[in-house]
Amino acid sequence: MPQKLDVIVIGGGHNGLVAAAYLARAGKKVLVLERRHVLGGASVTEEVFPGFKFTVFSYVVSLLRPEIIRELQLHKHGLMILPLESTLTPLPDGNYLYRDGDHYRTLREIARFSRRDADRYEDYSHTMYFMAKAVKPILSLVPPDPASLNPLEIARLLRLGRQYLKLEATHLYTLSRLMTMSAADFVERWFESEPLKGTLSASGIIGTFLGPRSPGTAYVLLHHYMGEIDGSFRAWGFARGGTGGIAEAIARAAVSFGAQLRTNAPVARLLVKSGKAVGVALQSGEEIAAERVVSSLDPKATFLDLLEPGLIPTELADSARRYTYRGSSGKVNLALDAAPELACLPGVGRHLAGAISISPSIDYIERAYDQAKYGEFSRQPYIDVIIPSMIDPDMAPPGKHVMSCFVQYAPYQLRQGTWEEQREAFGDAVIDTLTEYFPNLKSILLHRQVLTPWDMEQTIGLTQGNIFQGELSLSQLFFLRPFAGYARYRTPIRNYYQCGSATHPGGGISGAPGRLAALEMLKDW
Amino acid sequence: MHSANRYDAIIIGGGHNGLTAAAYLAKAGLKVLVLERREVLGGAAASEKVFPGYTVNTGALDSGIFLPEVVAELRLEKFGLRFLQSQVVVTALQAEGGDLKLWRDPQRAAGEIAHFSTRDAARYPEYIRWIKRMAGVLRQVFLRVPPNVPHLSPGELFSWLPSALKVRALGRKDLMALLRALPMPLTDFMGEWFEQQAVQAALGAGGMTGVTLGPRASGTVFNLLYQAWNAGQAGFRASSFIRGGMGALAQALAEAARRHGAEIRTGAAVSRLVLEADRVSEVVLDKGETLSARIVLSSANPRHTLFDLLGAQNLDVRTVRELKNIRFRGSTARINLALGALPAFRGIDTNHEPQVSLAGHILICPSLDYLERAYDDAKYGGISQSPMLDMHIPTLLDDSLAPPGKHILCINIQYAPYHLRGTDWEEQRSNLASLTLNLLEEYAPGIGALVEHQQVLTPLDLEREFGLAEGCIFHGQMTLDQLWFMRPTPVLPPYRTPIANLYLCGAGTHPGGGVTGAPGRNAARLALRQIDHF
Repeated sequence: MPQKLDVIVIGGGHNGLVAAAYLARAGKKVLVLERRHVLGGASVTEEVFPGFKFTVFSYVVSLLRPEIIRELQLHKHGLMILPLESTLTPLPDGNYLYRDGDHYRTLREIARFSRRDADRYEDYSHTMYFMAKAVKPILSLVPPDPASLNPLEIARLLRLGRQYLKLEATHLYTLSRLMTMSAADFVERWFESEPLKGTLSASGIIGTFLGPRSPGTAYVLLHHYMGEIDGSFRAWGFARGGTGGIAEAIARAAVSFGAQLRTNAPVARLLVKSGKAVGVALQSGEEIAAERVVSSLDPKATFLDLLEPGLIPTELADSARRYTYRGSSGKVNLALDAAPELACLPGVGRHLAGAISISPSIDYIERAYDQAKYGEFSRQPYIDVIIPSMIDPDMAPPGKHVMSCFVQYAPYQLRQGTWEEQREAFGDAVIDTLTEYFPNLKSILLHRQVLTPWDMEQTIGLTQGNIFQGELSLSQLFFLRPFAGYARYRTPIRNYYQCGSATHPGGGISGAPGRLAALEMLKDW
Repeated sequence: MHSANRYDAIIIGGGHNGLTAAAYLAKAGLKVLVLERREVLGGAAASEKVFPGYTVNTGALDSGIFLPEVVAELRLEKFGLRFLQSQVVVTALQAEGGDLKLWRDPQRAAGEIAHFSTRDAARYPEYIRWIKRMAGVLRQVFLRVPPNVPHLSPGELFSWLPSALKVRALGRKDLMALLRALPMPLTDFMGEWFEQQAVQAALGAGGMTGVTLGPRASGTVFNLLYQAWNAGQAGFRASSFIRGGMGALAQALAEAARRHGAEIRTGAAVSRLVLEADRVSEVVLDKGETLSARIVLSSANPRHTLFDLLGAQNLDVRTVRELKNIRFRGSTARINLALGALPAFRGIDTNHEPQVSLAGHILICPSLDYLERAYDDAKYGGISQSPMLDMHIPTLLDDSLAPPGKHILCINIQYAPYHLRGTDWEEQRSNLASLTLNLLEEYAPGIGALVEHQQVLTPLDLEREFGLAEGCIFHGQMTLDQLWFMRPTPVLPPYRTPIANLYLCGAGTHPGGGVTGAPGRNAARLALRQIDHF
């Protein structure tokens, strides 16, 4: 007879796997249940067309916490991150802005647009480096409870406050601004040239349903600066084998600690006995008992779908219903017969091995948002392109390529029609926009995979297709993520926990929610 | 030795904040002089004889958020101040005709809302209770000098304890609800409470006047709560008017100040401040006269005070850069009309006298999406083709303002951005007027024929006439990053400047714009604590 499980992890995405690995490492008997046939959640690589491997949903990595890589020895389990060194912003007039690791070349490039911007670039980079460094400790911190009257909590809060008051005044002010400003206003404090402002502020809208001029987007900008790869800050990378490579490495680490992983095992509901979680029931009807259960799914699943009504306070159920997702992005993956060529920089070169950002100006992105606000996908969207096969040749057959296009905005709620009807039109808009910059694109296009927010909800269970399991807005961060009073990975049901991106510190392939949740669970044992 | 030209305090600007500060300082026994550039007092809260026989509010319309503390402490009612309250706070005109009347009486308001949605009507009492509680908390913050971040002394921290406890007394649930709501977009917030867009817009749009953001922008719930900080009043937003026009408030404040010995001069424009040993030693008027005082408080906007009066050469580079980065970006224009008779609004319920149904704000903003679309134009430097109109007919509550039978209609138009692209305000002034009147004609057919006089104030005019930088009626946008210790900029300690005896006391300081008196009161109290150093 099998030994009783200590923990069931619902969902085999990267956070579920990280939680499983940490719990198993602490000697717990862990089982991960994944609904799909592959592990990884939004962090998967799939061979959608023979020979072409798509990093289907998420596509770059930078936020993965170094302590997780170290503690789970992910390198030993096959994790390899290849640097993504440059960002190219092609412009409609045939010009382009190219920035890479060569500091002086980058400054010369920026100076082609504005000498003043080049002069200020260093200060900006330095400021963001510093800000990211100042905020980073929060990523590894269980959120405090500001409403608590417990002296220990108050002391904790004061300590945190004092830590920030110790910052140099300028930095503290900048930090306050990052928490409250719009990305556009923030970058406009330094810069005047449109391609630079557009590309920088684009990081502020990722995964939100806000335009770059809306307050709150500067924080998202900062969130994307907190990346750290092998100790070098603000580095973006591409995992060998795609983001599925990350999930596989974490899964191997979890297995090495004794965790069991089961795919094709969709969970139907949580089993609760006298107010305590005691296991789960699968959709097949099978029931699996465990001492504790942790869900890496989003709040809709964790608090509403998996629970029978009445198990949680109405107030919490209301919070779960009010929690904002509003998916706003789509993903288009292309299989190409040859290397794509940019009109502004013809030929195959290093510039194709970095990010290519279709963000010529702030207004361009803002106009893309205007359409989405009223329920249409952007006809001229913001697109973040990478060509994984340029970085990792194993992603496509020799001589051929795969292209990953993150597209915003594609609102989950369409004003007219359904996403099933609009999917191909959306794909066409993306291809048409890209063809303005890559003239040979249509002639080398072999296959395309178009993923709308609705598809993301259907395939990987992201409610409304929000890539962060809920917007990274100030109302849903830190001690308010996912909601006030439940920001510490616990739930009102004893032995039932949450560990997904909907918990602090939020989305992106960071693994931090999984790790923090596992460590909190271990404290309760 | 005191010469005739030597004062304890000189206040630059006779707007309501300058006068409030003056009255508090004079009341404390200081020898105070107020210098106002224009011939009338009140600044952007003045009443002027724009048309013969009419007393027109040229700036602010509503005094609902004026602090009762100031009224009581300065005994303004003794000096002739009378508040007038309309029974209907907002009459929201609907695109298809008819209106939604938000009565001051919550039950009647709910009854009216029920015509649109019974669910919304049922939620209304809870909504106004919520707004009152939250606005009450913000009030605690608004009435105090913000902390000087990051240089907090233990004493200062300690002084915040009572406020912190009051905030905590809200209870965990409300406190968290407030923290969650403040950074939210207005549309999301109203959407959580109400299902009908007419209800969302009538209740929500009031907070957006003067804000150069659309209702889908994060943080706009703050603006909504700001309009409601005198909780109690109408429940969902504070609203009142002043007998004799808004300028009568300035008159009462001036009278209170004079009664305590303050001297007030109009037509006295300050041209510059002279420094000596890092102190303002002289205030120079444009006619060459020089005056001196131990301390100087400027209620002009921070950029004008520090760049034009003090001079950027007297500031360090960082402060200059910070001041340049203050976002003003005004996008509100104003049209005042003298009407031969009361206009008839399409489909408005005639069961009530116009003195009741039209005496509050008359709002054209049928939905929050309407407002968002209006902002879409402004974002790219254009005038909204279908703007939000926030209007008031002051003559319905106070017939002394116009000749018998005649009326005044004041219209705030949003959005009309100061920074136009590809054109300028000289070119667009008449376009703005015709666009506004055409829109108005749709809601009040025949109104154009009633117009006997009109005054158009574009954002550029607001800047020239009232010294509102970039036409921003708040002396700086009221966004989360320009509030509290970050208003006007975090590099300056609250109400202070790099010059020790020069203070700021206008709407550009905490808590911000609107006719509140709070910046003037807070600044005066701070200056009084420090005056012995000078």
